[in-house]
Amino acid sequence: MQVFFTVNTITELLCLMICLFCLFRDKDIYWRSFMIYLFLVCAVEFTGIYLRLLHKSNYELYTYFLVIECTMISCFFYRLYRKYHFKPSRLFSWLGLFMSIYGLELYTNHFSNFAYKTAAIMSVVFVIASLYYYMLILRDEHFRKLETYPPFWIVNGVLFFYFGSTACNVFFDYLMQDKITSLGLSVRYVTFNILNVILYSCWSYAFICRYRQRN
Amino acid sequence: MVLRFYMQISSKELVLLITITTFIFLIAPIFLIGYIFLYNKKKAKHTEEKETLKKTFELELLKSQVEVQEHIMQTIASDLHDNIGQLLSLTSMTLSSIKADHLREEKINTASELTQRAIRELRQLSKMMNGQELIKKGLGPAIAYELEWLKKGLTYEIQFKENMPGAIPEHADKELILFRLFQEILSNIIRHAKATRIDIELDQKNGQLFLMVKDNGKGFMWEEKLRKSDGLGLFNLQKRTSMMNGDFNINSIPGTGTEIKVSIPYC
Repeated sequence: MQVFFTVNTITELLCLMICLFCLFRDKDIYWRSFMIYLFLVCAVEFTGIYLRLLHKSNYELYTYFLVIECTMISCFFYRLYRKYHFKPSRLFSWLGLFMSIYGLELYTNHFSNFAYKTAAIMSVVFVIASLYYYMLILRDEHFRKLETYPPFWIVNGVLFFYFGSTACNVFFDYLMQDKITSLGLSVRYVTFNILNVILYSCWSYAFICRYRQRN
Repeated sequence: MVLRFYMQISSKELVLLITITTFIFLIAPIFLIGYIFLYNKKKAKHTEEKETLKKTFELELLKSQVEVQEHIMQTIASDLHDNIGQLLSLTSMTLSSIKADHLREEKINTASELTQRAIRELRQLSKMMNGQELIKKGLGPAIAYELEWLKKGLTYEIQFKENMPGAIPEHADKELILFRLFQEILSNIIRHAKATRIDIELDQKNGQLFLMVKDNGKGFMWEEKLRKSDGLGLFNLQKRTSMMNGDFNINSIPGTGTEIKVSIPYC
């Protein structure tokens, strides 16, 4: 049982609980969808550990989850950009492009590996999306107190996670072979643990800010 | 063997390189977010300065309006006193100089009395309009004079409590603005409140000049007036008070009456 509770899963579970508490009565569907998304994140994480315990490969699970992840983050960015007259066609174009790259990668590696190239491209796009959002809020005449502005902290988490994971995604193959002998953990695993903690801390803070602003 | 060793070193270096890159990639957003916070703070400061400038401009505009209004009233008061007053005096003198028979004398006397009354009323009105003249003896006497005028015409039960230490005003300009506010509050009560009793309190303590006007009229819902953007007069009163860095409070209960409290710094 203890195997299921890693740094990753504990962080994700805590974030899910904060999300459920803070966003349960939220009227915005985009914010409320975080509850379902985080629930899926936790479910995937636990299933992944379970498959590993059975000595079965779990890359397929994470590869399929990539689609949900991309859709969720992209839709949230679209929600943020919407008030700056962002056209829905751009969201659909990006999702279409993502699905094409994703399908092509799965086809070329014969569904035998994690779609790390697609993940790397997705990371770069989300980093650009985050930077573009920063540019929009800086250009905006309307002043916001960013210290407690929930969307800003969601984007901060996204930027940290995807910017930090770019190097790991680009050199995915090399890192899969690497082991840190003293801990028995790969550099990739440690990095993603750190990134996950940062991401879900930022998101949890954003949910709390959202809750406090709503009440 | 040599090649394999070389490859092993290279792989370790690569892992180290990836770790350093990831570390840098984590530091970069920290600085980026830091810059955004700094820029946002500057934006906040800029917005604050813009707001202050706008407020100062509005207050200056209001101040000019008050000054212009005061000047116009002074001119009208002088005109009333000097021109129409003189004409009425002349009419009164002419009427008294007419020698007529018994029947006409009575009518002439009545016309002369009416003219005398008109002169008195006109002088009072002119004095009331000329705020600077009225305020010379202080705000308390000016309010008392205004209330005397009110007592004559309508059936109000008026109570005026005054606690001003000096007879000569220390800041005539502030007292004049507060007097004009009082006149407007009183005018509102006469026009809208349907009150039978008015209580006025004037107090000066702790470097503050305090005025309270309370009536037992029909009252109103202040929030409703705010929502409907009704009650421009009250907004103007509020603005004028803020022009002097003062506080303006309204407490009104429908069916019970209204209490208005104005306090301005007086030092």
